[in-house]
Parts: sequence; structure tokens; C-alpha cells
Amino acid sequence: MSPKHIEDMYDAVIVGAGAAGLSAALGTLRSVEIRGLLDAGIEPKILVISKLQPLRSHTGSAEGGIAASLGNVEADDWHWHYYDTVKGGDWLVDQDAARLLAQYAPQTVINLERDGVAFSRTDDGHIAQRRFGGHTRDFGGEPVRRAAYAADRVGHQILHTLWQQCVAAGVEFAEEWYVTDLALDADRSRVAGVVAYDTHTGDVHAIHARNVLLATGGAGRLFHTTSNSWDLTGDGMALALAAGLQLEDIEFVQFHPTGLAHTGILLSEAARAEGGVLRNADGEAFMATYAPEHRDLAARDVVSRSIMTEVDAGRGVADPKDPNGPKDCVWLDMTGIDKDHMEAVLPQVVETIRKYASIDPATDWVPIKPTAHYTMGGIPIDTEGRVYRWSRDESGNTGRNVVEGLFAAGECSCVSVHGANRLGGNSLLDACLFGNRAGLSMAARIAEHPTADPAGDEIGQADDEAYTALDAAATARKDEVTALLSRDDGADGEIADDNPYQVLADLGRVMERAVAVRCSADTIATALDTLQDEFRPRTNALHAHSDMAAFNQEITAIWESRHLVALAEAVLKASDARHESRGSLTRLDYPARDDERFLAHSMSDRDGILWQPVHIVDYPPKARAY
Amino acid sequence: MSGMDDAPTTVTLRVNRFTPRPERDRGSRGGSPFAKKGGSPFGGGASRNRRPRGKQWTQDYTLSVRPQDTVLDCLLTIKRTIDPTLAFRYSCGHGMCGSDAVSINGTPTLLCTATVAQWARHPNPLSPTDDEGFRHTGDGADNKGDPEASDMQTDGLGLIELAPLPGFPVQRDLISDIDPMLDQIRKLKPYLQADGVLATTSEGKADVFEYLQNPQQLAKYEMLTNCIACGVCEGSCPVFAGGDAFIGPAALIAASRFVNDSRDTATAARLDAIDTQDGVAACQSVRACSRQCPRGIDVGEEMWQIVAKVKER
Repeated sequence: MSPKHIEDMYDAVIVGAGAAGLSAALGTLRSVEIRGLLDAGIEPKILVISKLQPLRSHTGSAEGGIAASLGNVEADDWHWHYYDTVKGGDWLVDQDAARLLAQYAPQTVINLERDGVAFSRTDDGHIAQRRFGGHTRDFGGEPVRRAAYAADRVGHQILHTLWQQCVAAGVEFAEEWYVTDLALDADRSRVAGVVAYDTHTGDVHAIHARNVLLATGGAGRLFHTTSNSWDLTGDGMALALAAGLQLEDIEFVQFHPTGLAHTGILLSEAARAEGGVLRNADGEAFMATYAPEHRDLAARDVVSRSIMTEVDAGRGVADPKDPNGPKDCVWLDMTGIDKDHMEAVLPQVVETIRKYASIDPATDWVPIKPTAHYTMGGIPIDTEGRVYRWSRDESGNTGRNVVEGLFAAGECSCVSVHGANRLGGNSLLDACLFGNRAGLSMAARIAEHPTADPAGDEIGQADDEAYTALDAAATARKDEVTALLSRDDGADGEIADDNPYQVLADLGRVMERAVAVRCSADTIATALDTLQDEFRPRTNALHAHSDMAAFNQEITAIWESRHLVALAEAVLKASDARHESRGSLTRLDYPARDDERFLAHSMSDRDGILWQPVHIVDYPPKARAY
Repeated sequence: MSGMDDAPTTVTLRVNRFTPRPERDRGSRGGSPFAKKGGSPFGGGASRNRRPRGKQWTQDYTLSVRPQDTVLDCLLTIKRTIDPTLAFRYSCGHGMCGSDAVSINGTPTLLCTATVAQWARHPNPLSPTDDEGFRHTGDGADNKGDPEASDMQTDGLGLIELAPLPGFPVQRDLISDIDPMLDQIRKLKPYLQADGVLATTSEGKADVFEYLQNPQQLAKYEMLTNCIACGVCEGSCPVFAGGDAFIGPAALIAASRFVNDSRDTATAARLDAIDTQDGVAACQSVRACSRQCPRGIDVGEEMWQIVAKVKER
């Protein structure tokens, strides 16, 4: 679906159509303000641009649940959810945001149900809930059933329901369009729009907008082994960096301990909950050494770290599909689980193993490897979804400077509810809840001076400069597309043979070696050198191998590879700057958490890193133990 | 462990490729004002049904694989190491996003769930077909029935033929335009129409609860919610041909999903909307739609059920 024509000016452009982008679109359209405009006969011009058809978004792959203290199956309290979220994030969580997350979670889940999500049900017809790692009662006590679920496909249910409601609301989409530039005014204080590339035609469009919301998802493709889809290339984050904005806590990437070897496809935690045991090359059940009490069911980051320690000590095994490859996997032994029981309670896990590893888990051990799963960090936003820059002037005054009209939501953003490690069930919640909030605050801005308001256009003049810059950026992209498509652009033989798919594969391996699960100053420095010496020149030299623009996937892949290289550099530099280990970040050279110096968010941009204090409201930092 | 049948071998992927002609070369040729739109006596005239014009050819790629590799794995290897221009949609890689439906050996299915072992075959010299899938029965000079002529790629696992999803206009290589399907799904109001107002809250307490629905009520439509709109059922349907003659199994599954949802209050209108010539009346109960559904929906049976519901009204 493509728009019939491009408006001169949009009230709002939303980039990305997963749970966050669609929630924001619905939040905007259903707001009191927008309904008021519609009643007055003023039609807001809103466009959702996404590089995939919305139903293909990665939200659809979320399996487990969405956390909310509904208390449908046992007593629960949003304060407990709030506490668990803060603790799970190793106290690098902004508590005002986490408080909102827990407090409004029940409303969010109920609204999703009323929009049509086919949640699993209790016998009396309420939304069913299940246990999830790290969710407890009484501030760290017994496990509590808090994750609302829809069999093992709640993400699919939520994604489809949100899209369906967008169909009902008449949302306009530009599908399979790729945003290449985010345009701000000269002092980075106001948004002017985006440049978008229509992959169907190869046309470049300057999209003028008074409000822009980025909801482009995560960046799992930084790593060779990831549970993320091929499209999660950190585009929104890279756009923000390129526009001179910051990324917050970008060094924190969650690795799920049990990806199916090199495929990265997730095998649910349930496999271990039902009795699966991790074993090293010697067959030893090593988790007993690292977490004597919780063993194989310790927190995600703890298990991932233990696996990597075994691998680093030479006790890993190769992926049987690549027997001569690196010994970077360990075994998941499910043979102790009764075969019939396994089929009954782990159907998805068993099917995935059979289909993608051609192994029968009832008789054979399964190769697994930690898989890049979620980027906790991202574009800094406040609790209303507004993007800001953290600044520090000469006299040491610090503060948040909101970029007028620019919003973000979901995995590409960082409102800092996940801190240094996300709790299961909180990602869909973050995307839907803060997506909706961002949509609401965008609606309030739209209503102040809608583009279609016949009463006048008094902000026209002030806009000129920024919009001229946007048009210039679009022209530059047009020229770039032409250059990328012309094969004889002075590239010599070797470089002409290179392609973005090869670059992405190679980059994934470099990042994997450098910072997957653990890192040190040495591994980071090596990777930074490689980026500078090898990947910058390679991505700059890339050309398309077909001169036909329509559906030329190589063009977008080239931009994606450049985005990932820029983002990789930010991840590496932020990892380097944090001299402590916290949550998902393990510095082998700084193994302890250091609240004195690093109870702070890293704020990275092209110029360097500033530190923003964490918002501590109710729960002072404690040791994080399970 | 395991490892019984995953020794490396080779396979040849024969891909039906297509590159559209640039927009400027197509267009109208000016010409007669009397032949403007709707010129075809076969109705419609909608541009989406126009057969796309461009360059068409088949290309063989032989690569080293393991039998359990998926066809998507193979295509990604081709993109990375042989031919970065080959175009095909893909995203999640494990059967959830629904973006990679194509025709494999003439059967619509997903690239990421199809394995080489499952689909590679050696050409059968007794029933050869040409590039268009036709079997030559005459004694034409270009008789490919000669076993000598089909000896290419008899080593390794053989051949897998790939083509874009049938029933939809091809856009480039294996990418086809599935907007007609999405338009048809949208036409049937694929969203819950319930009676309530959305909950609001102060203090985080829900003051209006969710709609109640017991597990038995959920079971009546839960399977239908698994549809990922990949288009495999549509590509399999001999009646659905991308035009307006049949609204297609995917749209009917979406309609049925809401008809069977106890929360939905628009059942009568939904049944009316599909009680049309291009609706349930067009389904011929061939049930080819059930065969390859990647989510295990028995589409044909569901068609049967919804037809019965329409009739029983």
C-alpha cells in the first residue's frame, strides 16, 4: 500500500508499524484532541511509513506474554511489578517511568483485549496469566503469574489486532518505504520531517511533517546469532545518530541464553523449566557451578554469562550443522523429560528443534548458543514519548532539551524502564503503553495547529529553513541512488565484488567476538579498529549489482549496513566507557557493579558520551540476586 | 549427536526471474482517446491485473548445502556469495511473519519452512515439462523428453524450482504484489466490532474489565487467529486468480474469525457481506487451500463451515 499522493505537510509521520508504531497511530487517532478536530471537520494528515508490510513486523514473533498485575489467577499488585522491573534492570531504571509502566499495564492489556486480542482464558473467562522469570510477589518473594498470554504467540495476536484496528480507523500507510534521513532544524531543536525511499519504484520523497515518531524496533542484526528478524538493523537509532542526536544506554543488549545454535531461533525458557539441563562438551551440567540454587533457571543474563564462560574455557561444542566451525555452543539436554509430556507442554520448542536442527530432543542433545534478543538502550525519550538531548553547558548545568515534534517509542527508544536488563513480558508492554502515550502527546501538539486548519498557517515562515534542508537531503539521496545504481562508478574489481549481505555477515561475526555477552577494553578496541579500517571503507564503496531501481533490495541493504556500522561504533564506545559490569553488560576487566560512578545513563552521540543520573524514586539500589 | 543425514552435498535452485521494465517505458502510448481505460472486454481494467511487462528468464544456481537447510538459507547464501541482485521477501525466517510465500516446484509454500531435503528432486525423464510448466506431447524439434537432454544436475540432491506465488502479479523475481489479498481482507472489516467503550483508569486500577470469554468460546475461533496472511492458500486455490471473481480464502478466514468470536456483535452483517457471487458462492470446495497452510489451519474445512453458516441463516 502506498499513499495516493504526498501531502505538502503532514501533521504526523510515524516510522515503523510494529506494536509501538501502530499503538502510537491509534493513540493519536483515538485521542480527545483528534476526535475534536474531526468533529470540527478538520482532517489530520497522518502517515505511517514502514519498510515492511505492517503484518510482517517483528512484534509478531514475540511468544511468551505481556506483563500486567491483573491478578486474574492470583493476588498481584502493580507495586510488585514496579519493583521487579527496577530490580531486573539492575537499578539502571528510571523509576518514574517504570512506575508508569507497572501502574498502567493492566489498562494496556485490557484495552488490547477489548480491541480483539485472543488472549488465553481462565475457566471463568478472564485473561489467563502465567509465570515468567523475575516476576515475583511481595517485592522479590515467590514467583507470581503476571504474564498475560495467548498460547505461545501473543506478539502475533497483538500485532494483528493493532493492524486491524488501524484498518478500522482508516490509517494511511506507505508500505515497503525505507526512511533514509531524519531532518531537524539547524540547532537540533525541532523536527522537519523525513526522507523516504519507495522500494517499489526507487523514488525518493521529502516528507514534510510537524511531528515525527520513530518506532523502528531493535538492532539484533548487529550480531551473527540473533533471535531478531533480518530487518532489525537499528535504522531509527542510526537515523537519530546521523541527525546529531544521542542514544541512551546503547551498550546494553540482552542475550537470550537458549538460541537454537547458529540459527538464533529462540527456544523458550519453558524448556528448562520443564527439566532441560545445560551441559558442556564434557557432558557436565555446569549451571550447578555458577548458580547453585537456581541452576538452569537463573536469570537470563546469568545463564548467558555462564555459557560464554564455558565456551571461553574451551568446553563449548560446534554447531553440528557447521562441524568445522567455532565451538561456541553448549548442549541443552532434554532427554530427561518424559517424551509425551514434552510433546504436550513444549510443542513449539519441539517443533522448532525438529524443523530447524533435525534433531529429536527426546533422544539427542540440542546445540544452543546465547542469541542477541533485545536492545535495552535507544533514542532517549521522556515518559510522554518526546525525544530529548541531554546537555551540559560550560558551567556544568545539565538538563534535557526536548526536540520539538520528535517522538519515539518501542525498542528503538529508551524511556529507561528496562535499565541494564529487560524483564520478560515487559517489551510488548513498553511498546504498547509508551507507544500509546507518545501518540497521545503527539495528538495534543497536532491539535494546537493542525495543517488543515483554515484559520491560518502562522508557523510557515519559521519553518522555511528546516524544510529547505530537508529538501536538500532528499535531493542528495536521489543523487546517491543514481550513483549506487550505476555500476561503473570507479570501483575497482575487488570492491565491486563486495555486497551488503556479505558485509552484514562479517560485521555480525566481529561484534559477536567483541561484545556478545562479555567484553573487555581489548576486545572493544580490536573491534573499533576493524570498523574503522575495514567496515567504513567497505560500506562506503558498496554499489548495487543491478541498475534497475524497482524492488532493488540491495539499495536498502547498503543503507542498512551503513546504519549497523554506525550503530556498532556507538555500542562499542559506550561499552568501553562503562567501567563496570551491570545487567547484560559484563566487562571482564571490571567485573563489579560500581554505583559510585556508573549509576548513570550513557548518552552517546557523534561527539562523545555524557552521563545522565538515574531517576531513583522509591527503591534505592541493592544487590541484585535471585 | 544426530547427524545421520546432514552431510554436505549440492542442490540446484532454478529461479524464475523477472525484472520490470522501467516505468517510463511502459505507460500509455498516447494514442486514441477512445481506448482509454476499461478498454478490455474482459472487464475490470484495474491496473493491478495488468500483466507486468519486463524481462523474464530462468537462472540456475548450484550451491553446496546440507539437506536440512531451508530454501531460504539457500537463497540468502546466493545473495551473499553468488548474486546479490536476486529479489525475494523474507523477514523473521521461522514461519511467523508470512512474507516469504513463493511457489516451490509449483506448490505455494514458505521459503523459511521448506527444507532442501523435502523439495529437491531429480528431474524425471519420463515426464519432463518446459520452463512454463507445460508438458510437450507433440514431436516438436525442441523435444526435451530426450533423457540425454536432462542430465544436468543429476549429482547431488537435484533440483528445486522457484517461482513467485501464483495468483498475484509478479513485481520482481520472487516478489509478487499481494495487495489484492490485503485489499480483500480489508474489505470485510477485519476488526472486532464489540459493544463496549475502552477502559480508562486513574491509579492504575482497571475500572472496566475485559470482555469475558471462556476457553470453549475461545476455542471456536482461536485457530483462525493464527492466520499470518501469507497468501499460500490463495496461491493454491484454482478459483482465486488475483481478480475480482473470488474474494479468496484468506479474506474469508478473516471474516470467519470474527463471526466465530463471541465478543463480536456484527455477525449478521459479516455473513451478508460474504453471501455474494464473489464470496462464498465462488468457493468450489476444492480444498487445495488446506494443503500447505503454514499455521496448520484447515482452510477448506473452515470454508465449508462458513458456507454452512451463511446458508443456515
